[in-house]
Amino acid sequence: MCVPLFVGDRIIGTLGLYDKKDEWGIITFTEDDLKSLMTFASVSSIAIENARLYRAEIEKEKEVTQTKDYLKSLIEDSADAIITSDIDGHITSWNKGAENIYGYAENEVIGRFLPMVPAFLQEEERRFMDKIKQKETLRNIETIRQTKNGRLIEVSLTLSPILDASEHVTGISGISRDISEKKLVEKELIRKNQELSRLFFVNSVVRSTLELDKLLKMVLTVVTMGDGLGFNRAILFLVDEANNVLKGEMGVGPASPEEAKNIWISMEGKSLGAIIEEIENGPVYLDSHLDRLSQRLSIDMNGDCILCRCIKDKRPYNVRNARTEPLVTPYLIQMLGADSFGVVPLISRDKIIGIIWVDNLFTGRPIKDEDLQFLMGFSSHIASAIENARLFENVTLAQSELKNIFESISDMVYYTDRDFTIKRVNQAVVRKIGKPEQEIIGKKCYQIFHGKDEPWELCPHHTSSAAQQPYVGELEDPYLAGTFVVSNSPIFDSAGNFVGTVHISRDVTELRNLRERVIHSERMAALGELAARVAHEIRNPLISIGGFARRLEKKLEGDIQEYAKIIVNEVSRLENILKEILGFVKSSRVNKSRVNINDLLSGIVDFIAPEMDERHNTVVKEFSEQLIIAVIDPDRIKEAILNIFTNAAQATDHGKITVKTRLEGNEAVIELTDTGCGIKDEDLKNIFNPFFTTKPQGTGLGLAVTHKIIQEHNGKVKVESVWGGGTAFKIYLPLGEG
Amino acid sequence: MKLLIVDDDTNIQRLYKEELEEEGYTVVIAGTGKEALEMFESENPDIVTLDILMPDIDGISLLRKMKEQRPNIPIIMSTAYDYRDDFAVWASEAYIVKSSDLAELKTTIKKLMDK
Repeated sequence: MCVPLFVGDRIIGTLGLYDKKDEWGIITFTEDDLKSLMTFASVSSIAIENARLYRAEIEKEKEVTQTKDYLKSLIEDSADAIITSDIDGHITSWNKGAENIYGYAENEVIGRFLPMVPAFLQEEERRFMDKIKQKETLRNIETIRQTKNGRLIEVSLTLSPILDASEHVTGISGISRDISEKKLVEKELIRKNQELSRLFFVNSVVRSTLELDKLLKMVLTVVTMGDGLGFNRAILFLVDEANNVLKGEMGVGPASPEEAKNIWISMEGKSLGAIIEEIENGPVYLDSHLDRLSQRLSIDMNGDCILCRCIKDKRPYNVRNARTEPLVTPYLIQMLGADSFGVVPLISRDKIIGIIWVDNLFTGRPIKDEDLQFLMGFSSHIASAIENARLFENVTLAQSELKNIFESISDMVYYTDRDFTIKRVNQAVVRKIGKPEQEIIGKKCYQIFHGKDEPWELCPHHTSSAAQQPYVGELEDPYLAGTFVVSNSPIFDSAGNFVGTVHISRDVTELRNLRERVIHSERMAALGELAARVAHEIRNPLISIGGFARRLEKKLEGDIQEYAKIIVNEVSRLENILKEILGFVKSSRVNKSRVNINDLLSGIVDFIAPEMDERHNTVVKEFSEQLIIAVIDPDRIKEAILNIFTNAAQATDHGKITVKTRLEGNEAVIELTDTGCGIKDEDLKNIFNPFFTTKPQGTGLGLAVTHKIIQEHNGKVKVESVWGGGTAFKIYLPLGEG
Repeated sequence: MKLLIVDDDTNIQRLYKEELEEEGYTVVIAGTGKEALEMFESENPDIVTLDILMPDIDGISLLRKMKEQRPNIPIIMSTAYDYRDDFAVWASEAYIVKSSDLAELKTTIKKLMDK
């Protein structure tokens, strides 16, 4: 027989029965047997189920008890106040922490409405409770609580709902922590930091004349002053990258306890601001005892000591007992004498630039970690200020060096932008132009330097900016009345765009004049020698020829007398030429008279006519209709003009020579233009030099004599010529007195 | 009236002699400085023309020596060079630039003789 074991509708097992025998030994179970078994099975099922339930209940209860114990001890032993209340705020539990913080014992508060919430915050508390009833949890609220003796403290609070099995809010649990101490320290730090930062950075960084030494002194003063961080001594070490050492730079603090006392007495009544002001405005001396001591300190950064660690780990170290700290070298203790000290790295943009050492050698006051943390926070400001001051110092130095160089260059140096506007000039420019700097800057360079209204194509600047390449050229500038060697270099910005030009212009006028004078006087000396020789060798034979020809002329008659006369005349002409040459060497007297220029030129044209015919040249006279009378030496001027004619005739074949005269103000202008071969550019400037000739048989004296004669008359000769296109001479003669 | 002409060029000596004799002067010629000083003493001329550029003794030295002996003797300096800026020349009575045309020389001599 087998029957199921039911609990309600649930089958929890089966019940089976074997071995019932009749008298014949045959096994048979009757209907009654089955009923009995079923009855038994239903009773057994309930018993089994009950037993099972009971066992589960016991185990559960054991678990809960354990959890409760655990929680209870947790609550009791916690330093935080853990308080539970019903949903209306009546206290149901109150742990030891609550007792410690708020001062009430558990039995004083159970059943009361939250006694530690001050009256002015009860409204807020009710709003919190409303939120809790909505099953919200409020975490880390910072608020105020009141202790039993009335003191207000700051706490951090977490409130959460207590739920029953059916998830209904039945109460509130609150955990609160006293943060008054922490708050106080924090507030103090923030206040100090703000105050110091303001004092320090508003005072100094804004001022452009900030010097590194002053800044460093201020830093250390802030670190040591009572109003500041209040350490006894502060020493600054800076990283010397070249030698990989930490070098003591300066120190602030007394040398001995006596001095400490004196200093503190003398400091009394002086505010930190006033002292910073004093450093700012006065000279900085780096020769106090501690300065000298610091400057002797040099710590190898390859080694392993507390200062190196501070740099490597980029964090402060607070050494409470230097003598037992293995990373403190005896050298440091011996030099600085402090048993405890702190070191803080100075980090600017991830770069360590040094460290600050602080100690309380004289008061022995322990250094708090918070003090170092604060100094650390402050140090990043200091470090970047030091970096800035260093950069500023470097830039200032470089700038003043550059400025000195720029200003002391005796050549003119100036910048222009791409539109020829002058941006900057040195003193040499100011001196040469003769205007103050502000009247030069902003003007166009072609106005200031060349007196033109548009860029001058002869100026090397023009070439340089067109090609955007450096260019050096010599420039004869009539506006500045001189010759200049000008070097122009284009400037490009970082993107490679042409933005302007740097000019260096050297005045070589003096040099060129000097050079020309030397050359001229050398030539004159050579000419003098030659002239003496010519005079000596030719003069006497000429005198004989001419003298005897005159005698012949007197004694002869008819045609033959005529021949003698020709000899006499030609010798006279030769003698006059010699006289001119001699006159050229020794300044001879000018024999001036009033001369009609047109008549003079007509005579010359007639005189030269045979030579003109020889080369099939025609002479065209374009004389002024006005009468031109000038006070001149006619023979010399004739000589001067003849020399030009001779040149023109020799340069021209089957051409035309035009002679023009005109009156220009109080000058007579004589123009001789030929259609000949012209003069090469490179020869043009030499044509008036004695002995310069392009002709195989030339003496090179003709035009030199012309130039000399015109100069003696205070006149000018100008020549314009195009190679292959003829030449034009212009003679300007002052009309002279009358 | 006796003229002493000092010049080293023999053609010029002859030219001067012929031209000036035609004017009615007695002309004696010296070709060197040494000869000139000798003749200055022996011939006792009334007037002297000196070429400044001489091969042995230069005209300026001759001028000085002659003026030392006879401070009032009229002396005409004559040369191819323009020596008018030379102070020494001022010691002479006249200065002419040598030329094939003797007109200036003759006028000068006449002027000096008339004094």
